[in-house]
This record gives sequence, C-alpha cells and structure tokens, in this order.
Amino acid sequence: MAEKKGRILCVDDEPNILRSLSWLLQREFEVFTANGGEEGLALVAAHDFDVVISDQRMPGMMGSEFLREVRKLSPRSMRIMLTGYSDLQAMLRSVNDSEVFRFISKPWKIDELPAVVAEAASIARHHPEPDAVAGEASARASAAGVESLLLIDDEATLAEHLRQELGSALRVIHAQNIGEAVGAFAENDIGIVLSDTRVGDVDTTAMLRMLKQQHPGIVTVVYTAGTDAGEVVSLINQGQIFRFIPKPVKPAVLALAVTAAGRKRQQLKANPELAGRHVVVEIDADSKQAFSRNLDQVARQSIDPAAQLPFLQRISGGFKRLFGTAA
Amino acid sequence: MTPIRMTSLAGAPLAALAGNSGRFRLLPFFAAASLAMFLLVAGALWYFERQQGAFFRDVQNQQIDFFKQVQDDFASRQDSVARRDLLSIHEAGNVNLTRLFANALWERDFAPFVGKAGQISVDECRALADVPDAKDGKPKPSAEKKACFAEIGKKIAAFPEFAGLNAKVFEMMKKSTVFKIKVFDLRGITVYSSEHAQMGEDKSLNAGWLGAAVDGKPTSELTFRDKFSAFEGVVEKRDLISSYLPVLAPGSEKVVGVFEVYSDVTPFLNQIKATSADIRKAAADNQDKVEAAAVADQETVDDSGTRTLAIVMLLLLLLFAALFAIVWRAAALIARQEMERDHAQQQLAQSEKMASLGQMVAGVAHQLNTPLAFSSANIQMALQALARFALPLQVAGSFSRLVKATDADKVMVNVASARDRVADIDPADLDVQMPQAMLQDTLQGIEQMRELVENLRDFTRLDRTKTSRVDLNKSLHNVIYIARSVIPTSIEVKEAFADLPEMDCNVSQLNQVFLNLINNAAQAIGEHGTITVRSLVEAGRIRIDVEDTGSGIAAEHLPHIWDTYYTTKPAGEGTGLGLSIARTIVTEHGGEIAVQTRTGENSGTTFTVYFPVAA
Repeated sequence: MAEKKGRILCVDDEPNILRSLSWLLQREFEVFTANGGEEGLALVAAHDFDVVISDQRMPGMMGSEFLREVRKLSPRSMRIMLTGYSDLQAMLRSVNDSEVFRFISKPWKIDELPAVVAEAASIARHHPEPDAVAGEASARASAAGVESLLLIDDEATLAEHLRQELGSALRVIHAQNIGEAVGAFAENDIGIVLSDTRVGDVDTTAMLRMLKQQHPGIVTVVYTAGTDAGEVVSLINQGQIFRFIPKPVKPAVLALAVTAAGRKRQQLKANPELAGRHVVVEIDADSKQAFSRNLDQVARQSIDPAAQLPFLQRISGGFKRLFGTAA
Repeated sequence: MTPIRMTSLAGAPLAALAGNSGRFRLLPFFAAASLAMFLLVAGALWYFERQQGAFFRDVQNQQIDFFKQVQDDFASRQDSVARRDLLSIHEAGNVNLTRLFANALWERDFAPFVGKAGQISVDECRALADVPDAKDGKPKPSAEKKACFAEIGKKIAAFPEFAGLNAKVFEMMKKSTVFKIKVFDLRGITVYSSEHAQMGEDKSLNAGWLGAAVDGKPTSELTFRDKFSAFEGVVEKRDLISSYLPVLAPGSEKVVGVFEVYSDVTPFLNQIKATSADIRKAAADNQDKVEAAAVADQETVDDSGTRTLAIVMLLLLLLFAALFAIVWRAAALIARQEMERDHAQQQLAQSEKMASLGQMVAGVAHQLNTPLAFSSANIQMALQALARFALPLQVAGSFSRLVKATDADKVMVNVASARDRVADIDPADLDVQMPQAMLQDTLQGIEQMRELVENLRDFTRLDRTKTSRVDLNKSLHNVIYIARSVIPTSIEVKEAFADLPEMDCNVSQLNQVFLNLINNAAQAIGEHGTITVRSLVEAGRIRIDVEDTGSGIAAEHLPHIWDTYYTTKPAGEGTGLGLSIARTIVTEHGGEIAVQTRTGENSGTTFTVYFPVAA
C-alpha cells in the first residue's frame, strides 16, 4: 500500500456525510471521523492531524468553536470549514477565531476536495508550525520598526481614529479610492491592509484577493456591512483575509484586530516560510478583468487632468509592483 | 425576578373596536347626533318663542283687563258721584221746600189737622198681628191690618178741613217738580198724602221716617217708578227722589211731624245717564283701541319671534351643512388613511410572511443540502467504482467464455498478452460492497429528502382546504422539524406531547404561529439552550406551551409585545408583526395567547396558546 499523503480528521454530525468523505479521501489519506466537536477534540488530542475538516452546523459544539479549539490544541493542523449554510455570522467567527484555510461548500466536488485537502496536508507537513516561531517573532517585532498600514476607505473618520489610537505603533496611510491605494503600494512598503469591501461604489475584494496572491506577507483586515456569504468565502479562499470586522465598526474591535494583524505581520516577516500556510486559490480571470475596469474608471475620474499622467504612471508602477504584470 | 404574566385578552376589545365588527361610523353617527341636537335646539327655541308670545299675550290681556277695570271704575264712580250729588242737591232742595211748605202751611193748617188726626187711636190696628211675607219671609202687615189703617185714613180724609188743606197743597205744588207730598205724625201714621189712598198707612217702622222723626235727619232715596200718581195725574217711567224730612216747629228744633216729598229728577238723571253713557262709550272706544294695539303688538311680537326662529333655524342648518361637509371630508380622509394603513400593514404582513418564508427556505435548503451533498458525492464515487470494475469484468467475461467453450477440466491460457492489462487491476478496486454501501447511503439520502419534502408539504398544506380537522401534535412535530432546520443546531428542541383531541383549524396559519413562537424562542436563547414544546389538555381546553431558556422579556417591553409594529430588533430585521399576527390567528380560532416571562437568573419565557376543544 502506498504511503498516505496525510492524516485527516473529518467532523460532522451526519454519519452519511462522514462515510461519504472517508470513501472519498481514504484512498489518499488516513481518515479519522468524529460525529461531534467533543469527540473530534478527543481525537485531536490523541493524534497528530495534518488537516481537520469540520461542518459548521452541528448540535452541541459549532464548527467554528471546534476549529478554534483545534487551533489551540494543534496549531500545525490546517483547518477547513465545510458548510452548506450561508450563516455569515458563523463564517466571520470562524475566520477570526480559527483562521481557517479554506471554506468548502456542500455539496463538494469529488475531484476538488481531495486536491484541497492534499494541498493543505502538504502545507502542514512542509511549513513550520506558527506558534513555534511566535516567541521568536515577537522578540524581533520591536526591532523591526514601525509597520505601514494602508487604510482604504472613502471616509476620513476611521483614518483619524486609527492615527490617534495606534499612531505610535503604525504609520497610517489613507487611500480614498482603489487608484490611490494602488499608488500607495508603489511608494510604500505596506505591511497591513485595512479595507472596506466597497469603497465608493467600487468593489475592493478583487484587489484584496489579487494582492494576497502576489504578496502573501501582507496581512489583510476587512470590514464589511454586506451579508454576502459568497463574498466571504471567496475572500478567504482567494484572499486569506486575516480578520473580518462586521459593520458598524467598533473602535475596540478594530484596535484589537489591527494589533493582532501587526503581530501576524511580524511573524510573517520574521519567518517568510510561514506565509506558505496562507496560500491562496488563484483568482479567476473575470474578477481580474473587473478589477482592471474599475481601476481604469477610477483613473479617468481623477479630478485634475494635469495630474493624470503622473497619477497613471504611479498606478502602473504600483500595479507592476503589486501584481507583477501590467494592467 | 418574579415571573410576570399577561394575556392578550386585555387588548382584545380594543382590537374588536378597530376591527370590522364594531367599526365606528363617523359620518352617520355625526349626522344623526348633530341633526337630532339641532332639531332639539330648534324645538326648544320654538317652544321658548311660543312661551314668550303666550306670556306677552297674557300680559297684554292683563293690561287690557286692568285698563278696562280702571275705565269701568271711573265710569261707575262718575255715575254714582253724579247720582249722589243729584240726591244730595235734591234733598237739600226738598229740605228747603219742606221748610217753605211748613212755614206756609204747618202752623195754621197742618198743626191742627195733625193734632186732630192724632186723636184717632191706632192702637187697635197696631195690635193686629203681622204676617210673614210670601216673598222674603219678613213680617209684613196683613191685608186686614192695612185695611184697618186705610180705615183710619178714610176717617182723616173725612175731616172737614181736609178738602181745603188738600186744595192748598195742590195749589202750592202745581207746576213744580214735586210729584207727591205725604205728612206723618209722630206716631208714624200717614195723616196726609197727595195720593189720598195712602192716607192712614203706618210708617212707624220705615227707616226714613225713623231717621227723620227720631234723629231729626233728612233721608233721601232715588227710585224709579213705572207709574206714579202725581199732582197732575198719573205719570210713567219716572226717576224720583223721595225724601223723608223732619218738620220742625217754627222757631224751634223740635220735630213735630215728618214730610215725605217725591220730586221728579228724571231729566237730571237722564242727563247723568247720558254723560255716563258718553264716558262708557269713550272707555269702550279706548278699550277697543288698546285691544287693537295689543293685537298689533302681538302680531309684531309673533312675527319677530317667527323671524328670529327662522333665522336661527337657517343658521343652524348652515352650521349643520358646514359641519357635515367638514366631517364628510374628514371621514373620507380617515377612510383613505385607514385604507392606506391597512394596505401598508398588509404589505408588511406579507413581507413578514415572505421573510419567515425566506428564512424557512434557507433552512430547508440547508437541510436538503446535506443528503444532497453525500448522495451526489456517493453516486459520483459509485460511478467511478463501476468504471473501475470494467477491466476486471472484461477479464471475468473472457474467462467465463473460455470456461463455457470447453468441456475439459483444464484449459491452457496464454496470459503473456494480458499481463500488462491485468496489472492495472488494483485488488482494492474489486470491493463491491463499497459501491453498494455508497448507493445504499444515497438511498437513505433520498429518503431524507423525501421526508423533508413531505414535512414541507404538511407545513404549508397548500393542497388542503382552509380548515381541516387535525391532531395538533402532528402539526407541532412538523413545525419543529422545519424549525430545527432554521434555528441554530446548538439549541435543543424538546417535544413533550400528551394525547390531544383533534380540532378544526387552519393548519397552515397555526403552523405559522408555532414557527413564529419557536423562532422567537430561539432568538431569545441565542446560542445554547432548550426549547420545550408541550401539549396537554387542561380544563377542557387544548394548551400548547412554547417554553425557552432564553433571556426573558424585559418589563418595559412586555406590555407592548402584542402591539403591531412593536419590535426590539433593529430596523429591517423585524417588522413587529409576528406576535401581532400570531394573536390575530389564535383569536380567530377562538383561542387565547398568553405569556409568562422571567428575567435575570434562571430566565426564560413561556408562550401559552389555548384552543377550545371542538365539540
């Protein structure tokens, strides 16, 4: 028998699902199943799992709670959330609490799921455990100097608030639209991006997703008023968003998220290998095109025609730096 | 915290009032009430107007009467004064006349004559008894007595001096207004009368005689005679003054006899009467004028009253018309607003329904998603497994053909050519049980989906008539099944059902109520807790409890939970119609809905629905 690609734990309250998953995965992986959070945690304590797959809706312990516990118990295990129910609150919680690697929606595709699990297992096996370098990273954090935070928001209140609260620890750059944001990338070494999902009437998610693809070291925090679960799924899978903050943004929550993002950034900087744990799914061509169109539009809307050329140059420079290709 | 209990019944009459049954109909009510009031006011005004007219008439009549009285009084006073004056003037005249008469005739002629007559005894006649008069019962001299006195008169007339005396008297009185003279002696006996038949009469009891003879005072009286024998023959219809006059002895105050003189005052009296008639006529004229004026005044008053009444009525009518128009507009406005509100509420109720439907659909979709997920994965895997069976089956087929083609027990097979292909056969792929199990699971998945669809159908009951006879336990079980797919899985839903009698109801509506109550309970709980749905028969009623271990309802919200549009959820999440609709539905089923809640430690809320047991 060939060597298995990894040890997997599947948790779901529905035995049929567990059976179906193990049939699907047992060929390539060593599969364990548990029909609830408690049972799953017992198994996690007993075995060293590369990947933990959990359903969100379960009686007793919810999937997000379970994965949060898994993250504490076994930080090196990659966490995948299996969900068929668009419960945005639960999704946001699972992002923030358990930092899931992927959302897999039910029903899953039998050729995709093993591939995702295989990728996750490979990352778990070949990339360092995050907490093992955490202490080291934080030790270096103070020496690393002031981090730059790019805030993409069409309103100034939040920028002012951030400067007041975290101005000493962070350099806050405020971009009023995606054009300015792209420009800011050209001129600064941005470590943390804080953005609304919509700035003006432009969707920023495509940019955020593309950003992470090219620069795994950038930590992204998103706040959103929307309730579109699909958007959250794509932001996680393609953008590896670090934290989601529901709108209206509470200052304390924001400060907490930004501080955590700063720590994460330090970790990633100290150990670039760690970024491998946040590999993203390549963004689809349609989203890329849509983003280009938006950027184009923003460039044309620029108020000062005289300033347009350098602005475009800046953008194009930023774009190159950002995404590696010309717009 | 102590449990707070309240029922929806408190609000029920209000709802009934606002409902169709007891609708307040503004326009008819206003029209009827105000019209009645206006009619009352008009009636009262008319009545007072009439009263005033009657009072005025009364006052006028009184004044007329008084005026008449005054005039009559004046007239009669004038008349009586004139008569009195006439009497006293004539009396004085008669006194003088008598004096003259006495001076002329008494000493020489009458004194001896009276003295002689005085010698005739009258005691015999006086001794005769009086008889009661037929008319008034007073004692009157009998005919016999009168005859006795008449006899005395005849004796006196038979005196030889009588003729001369009589002639002298007649001579003196000729052509005067004196119609008759009588002379009485101090006994009261008529010793002379110009009407000879009256001589001898006893006047001792006559008040006039007594006044003159005893008190020495003259007395006069006005009388009317149809026939009277005067000096110059009989006269007719005459007003006369008769005076009793004392005769004093010349040169002294001593009464020696009494004259009775009749003097004619007819012309004076006629004059007086004419004057009186004049006055009376003038009074009557005045009276007529006053009455005419009164009638005119009355008419004026009545006219002005009628006019006032008419104006006031007209004004009232105008006021009524104006108010009616205003109220009519207001009623129309209110009706339109009510319609708009109803419409808005209907829309909101519809959106509420759609929202809960959407939530339910999402839940059901999730519920459906699980069997769908593993079934579709299983079928794909089973298909792959079947595909992997192709090669081994080919091999088995070739082998079976080979075996069938020969009768020998041993067959030589050249496997060299097949070795490569057979090498592809993985022993793990030959497991038939696994695909079987996959398909078996798929069948289970399909069964789950069927159950869901069945529950969904039972929940909506779109294929049933509106009202049907059902066992509420089944319905509740169905609702809980649907609810479980909507509410978080961390919330446990317990069923505690007792046997219930069947009841007639609109199942789809009641399902909506119970789903709403369970959803509310789930929202009150949040993440972890228990919802207990209990059914029992209590005091002849069906009782359904939906009990949660949630946070309870704060005291400030409790009185409002049944209010339409009252919600504690942020705008856009709750319409505030859920419980309001639930109560309406329960009330329509003849039931009652109540709540008991407890906040703080050991908090929780129980909604209880009662239904009457069908007869």
